[in-house]
Amino acid sequence: MLNRVRGKFDYSNCNRLGISCDFEAKICAELGEARRLSDSPAMAQSDGNKLKPRPVVRLGILLISQSFFVSVICLTAGVLALLLLPVLAKNTYISENALMPGSANNMLSGQDVSEANKLVKDLTSLELRLMGLGMESQRLISQYMSDLGAEVSYHKFYPQLHQFHPLQFFSGPDSGIIWKNNSCSSIGVNTVGIIRAPRGDGKEAIVLVTPYNPNKIGMGEALSLGIAYSVFSLLSRVTWLAKDIIWLVADSQYGEYSAVADWLREYHVPVFRKVNTGDTETCIESNILYELGQKPYADRKLYEGFKRAGTMAAALVIKVTDQNDYFEDSLNIYAEASNGQMPNLDLINIVNYLAVHKQGLRIRVKKMLSLLNSSWLNTLGLLFESLGQIARSLNPQWKFGIPATEYVEGAATLASSLYYQGLGVPTGPHGAFRDYQIDAITLEISPKVSLTKMARHNEFLLRGGRLIEGVIRSVNNLLEKFHQSFFLYLLTSPSKFVSVGVYMISFALLVAPLPIVAASLHADANNFDCNIVKEKSSSRATSGSKDDVKHGSWNWLNSAKKVFVFHLWGAVVSLLPYFICQMPNITPKTSFLLWALLSGFSLLILHLILGSQFSETAVFQPQDREWANLKSATISASFIGLCLMSVINFAAAEIGALLIIPMCLMARPLKLDIGAKSLRNFAKAACNLLFGFVGFPPVTYVLLKGVFEGFYEINVGDFWNWVESLWAWNSATYLFVGMVLLPCWALCIYILFHPC
Amino acid sequence: MMKSLGKTKLRWFWIWVIASLVFRLVLIYLPENLNLSSRPEVSTPLTSIRRLAEGYWLKQLSVSPYAGSMYHGSPLLLTLLGPLTVIRLEGQPDHLLCSLVFVIADMISAILIRAAGQRLQMAYCLSLKSLGLHQVSQNSEVLPSGDVSALVYLWNPFTIVACVGLSTSAIENLMVILSLYGACARLAPLAAFGWVMATHMSLYPAILIIPVVLLLGYGADAPPRKLFLQRKYGQVGTSSSSDTSCPEEEAKNQLRVQNVFSWSPVLLFWFWILLWSSYVLVLSGIYVRQYGGLQELFKRTYGFILTVQDLSPNIGVLWYFFAEVFDFFRSFFLIVFHGNILMMIVPLALRLNHRPCFLAFVYIVIASMMKSYPSVGDSALYLGLLGLFAYEITDMHFSFFLFCGYVGVSLLSPVMHNLWIWRGTGNANFYFATAIAYACLQIVLVIESVSAMLNHDRMLAKESSAKLQDVKS
Repeated sequence: MLNRVRGKFDYSNCNRLGISCDFEAKICAELGEARRLSDSPAMAQSDGNKLKPRPVVRLGILLISQSFFVSVICLTAGVLALLLLPVLAKNTYISENALMPGSANNMLSGQDVSEANKLVKDLTSLELRLMGLGMESQRLISQYMSDLGAEVSYHKFYPQLHQFHPLQFFSGPDSGIIWKNNSCSSIGVNTVGIIRAPRGDGKEAIVLVTPYNPNKIGMGEALSLGIAYSVFSLLSRVTWLAKDIIWLVADSQYGEYSAVADWLREYHVPVFRKVNTGDTETCIESNILYELGQKPYADRKLYEGFKRAGTMAAALVIKVTDQNDYFEDSLNIYAEASNGQMPNLDLINIVNYLAVHKQGLRIRVKKMLSLLNSSWLNTLGLLFESLGQIARSLNPQWKFGIPATEYVEGAATLASSLYYQGLGVPTGPHGAFRDYQIDAITLEISPKVSLTKMARHNEFLLRGGRLIEGVIRSVNNLLEKFHQSFFLYLLTSPSKFVSVGVYMISFALLVAPLPIVAASLHADANNFDCNIVKEKSSSRATSGSKDDVKHGSWNWLNSAKKVFVFHLWGAVVSLLPYFICQMPNITPKTSFLLWALLSGFSLLILHLILGSQFSETAVFQPQDREWANLKSATISASFIGLCLMSVINFAAAEIGALLIIPMCLMARPLKLDIGAKSLRNFAKAACNLLFGFVGFPPVTYVLLKGVFEGFYEINVGDFWNWVESLWAWNSATYLFVGMVLLPCWALCIYILFHPC
Repeated sequence: MMKSLGKTKLRWFWIWVIASLVFRLVLIYLPENLNLSSRPEVSTPLTSIRRLAEGYWLKQLSVSPYAGSMYHGSPLLLTLLGPLTVIRLEGQPDHLLCSLVFVIADMISAILIRAAGQRLQMAYCLSLKSLGLHQVSQNSEVLPSGDVSALVYLWNPFTIVACVGLSTSAIENLMVILSLYGACARLAPLAAFGWVMATHMSLYPAILIIPVVLLLGYGADAPPRKLFLQRKYGQVGTSSSSDTSCPEEEAKNQLRVQNVFSWSPVLLFWFWILLWSSYVLVLSGIYVRQYGGLQELFKRTYGFILTVQDLSPNIGVLWYFFAEVFDFFRSFFLIVFHGNILMMIVPLALRLNHRPCFLAFVYIVIASMMKSYPSVGDSALYLGLLGLFAYEITDMHFSFFLFCGYVGVSLLSPVMHNLWIWRGTGNANFYFATAIAYACLQIVLVIESVSAMLNHDRMLAKESSAKLQDVKS
């Protein structure tokens, strides 16, 4: 009778709340189900006769009750899907019609190139003549620029010490930060030339960046300046230009990235510094700009202030480097910006298309070289190849499978793509642009002969210049900013990519067991409690039932509290390097040890402060099920953390998922396994210990480094250096490691040694 | 022994309160890295301190504070907080005084919640005893629900974020809590003041008039009235045989009281409402006299709330909907959405009239779900009030799921916003998805808490009838 009323009420109640029908039905059905689950068996039976659950709910119950098989299947499928990614990669294509790469003939002529060559020669001779007198080269470049009729200006900047702003992905760029002026001794001067587009309205711009070190101009840097100059001189004459061209000659003596980032910050967020005149007088270099202005050619077009063009549509960073053993000129593309952000795929596509089809350059993206020779990957490739052949023999329409060598190459590229995205550290000065939603890549061109031995620069400059010209011409055609193609993708070769829709599958399969296992553990633990309550109340044990009644369905609170304490500890651990860095003269090794020591200490303190607070209320919980509740809370926390990270930085989340998911799912008190004394339990315990050992972030780092680079030069300080670099680059991966991976590992260890 | 335990508990309570105060102050003094006051989750067009400062600035320039669709709050808030926004103390964070006002508001709210919780608990125990359910009443005494809910309110990250982010919702929440406390303590003037101010500031608390009147009329939350009737008749049948002692008499009195709607505090309440609202209207009328009068005021505040003019993204669902909907359907859907809130008032009031405080909680959740400009401050209020019923909803289902959902959504939502606005790799759908998930969580919370409460009532009915059977046999 009561049950019927209850069932009826559920539906009427929902109706009354006026929720949309579909959802309400689902919720109500779930309510009924959950109630059925948590009630005593007798009630469940009587309930079951009257309320038949919906198919969706039954499916959910089935999944939860079979959580072990589900998780095994999902994990295997997830790993398999990850390995299949190189096979599933699609060929790239130009998605935006307006780009039309290569549709116009190249206009870059020998004259531009010979002018550029002259610049190169001047620069190198300048280098020979005056060692260490930096401003001379800037002056030279600005002279060349203004000869072309460009607006030239200097941008003086103080290279920033890296500051830690890890929460950028939560809040957006922090505009209000006042940057502290550093000492005057370190000052950089960027030279900026702007060509105004004859057909444009000055609201859009394309940026060319050539980083170079004015104190030590190498041949490569001079050539990159030459390439940019040749394009620049062409663009100063053409009539079709619709976007302004900005040529930023970045002063890279304090790092390429910081020079570009500082210029971009000034461009977008002008800072009104409180200029202390007395302070600047003392600086020797503060007169540099003044000095530059004094020169005779200053009357051309040299401007005092900061010059701006419109919003930037795209940016190209040009570099020229030496290479060792290739038979043709090649082009390296670097695209990863901070936190695994990538530029729009169309930009890479244009470069790829023009370089391969027009200029005959060989395009390369980074590969994980150690994977190329691995035999297991080769075997896997052969397996997939034969599978593909079988599939093709069944139906010629199925184009599944790629040659094994291609698979290995793709996997190596994919691995490096995952690694560099996951690291969250930009791979070049192009990373600075991505923070302002500008698509940028670095093009690293290397000629087949050594730079110093190269007899004629002209041909090389022509090739490079034509490539850049083609790209600029394409981008110039754009009507809107890049939006048509993908932002979220992984490259498996310069002309192949895996889009977000495909690679998310493997991640979704990996994390899918987490909520299922958490729900099943939670349901188990609560059923158990319910039974106890029922038994006690039936026997009218008044003294004991009081505490049981007290929490009812809320007894997860205690384990949630523990999980919270561990995550708080993770936050503390992530903050510690900030203080350790302040100490002067400290080797990586000692700082790492100090870090470990302080972390352990802080865990102890947190345990004493927060752990004891609620202990009086915690005693009532049956100890043997407490670990189940704790494990379910841990799994939920790691699920939330992984999902969050997959949005911020997919690659890091994927790698983290591979590490912690098996550990979280397997975790089980060792006491239970050892007590059982069967081979299976022993295997379980061994697995647990293994995962627990491997899952500790420093150990994982050392193992991975050892696998890829060999174990012979492993140092304890390496991990500290790695962490410091993540920290310095504001990588979200740092927080991910500190606040998700580490606490999850600690909780798993806690569960392993749980006294149940 | 019980007493010493109670004392240590009391000490712990105050330690935690002070800790939360210190925590807020620390956050206020931290450099503004998170820029909380410009977050869409914290500051809606109605609660943003920056808009308030702008309104005050306009007023100082002898322009209407409502000019330019910047400020949409109450003029009284402008007079209270406006001068504080312009005062800058040297070397102190901006808006320090405003922050202090919000911190104080939070503290007062917590203390009021605690007092209300204690009253509710006492009344509840008394009514349970009068039903003869001593076992249950003992159980319910174990959990100090007032302390729990006060601490939940103070330590809820939503409350902290709203307070540090300088959202005026702290003051709106204070007014709502003031009204509920006044009703629990049967202080008609206080209840009326809280209700009038809350309605004046954000309109939606207007529906709280029903629970407040029920609270004043019937008294605090109690088991269903039917049980008292049954008990009464059961006792009438058996009273001749059993000896009548003093506590029995008291319990009978209690039984009688439970079923009578006392009109006098309600009438007093209405009188005070009239007084306070006319007072508020006169004050605001004086303030906006030169700028179009009260009509303009209503148009710029209530009209702005009801017609959903500002479609900037927030954690609610209406902005997306009204950005998508065709203009000629707009007024229709406006009526539908606001009617949705109104439609649920009466059925819920009929079903839950014996638990007016819980009814108020349900109303607040529904209003904060369907609000045109919701912020996390609204969630902070109802999550705090949920703690008042800590004992009754012990058997709530999906509590763990809800908790994880709240944590997950509140972390994911800013990231999605960042992905859409700053990184440009996502779009509005990403952010809206989290808003939908949040709304769903709130729906599940309402359904689950109401069903848990009704189950609790059923349990009481069962126990009580079992008691009656025992007595009769």
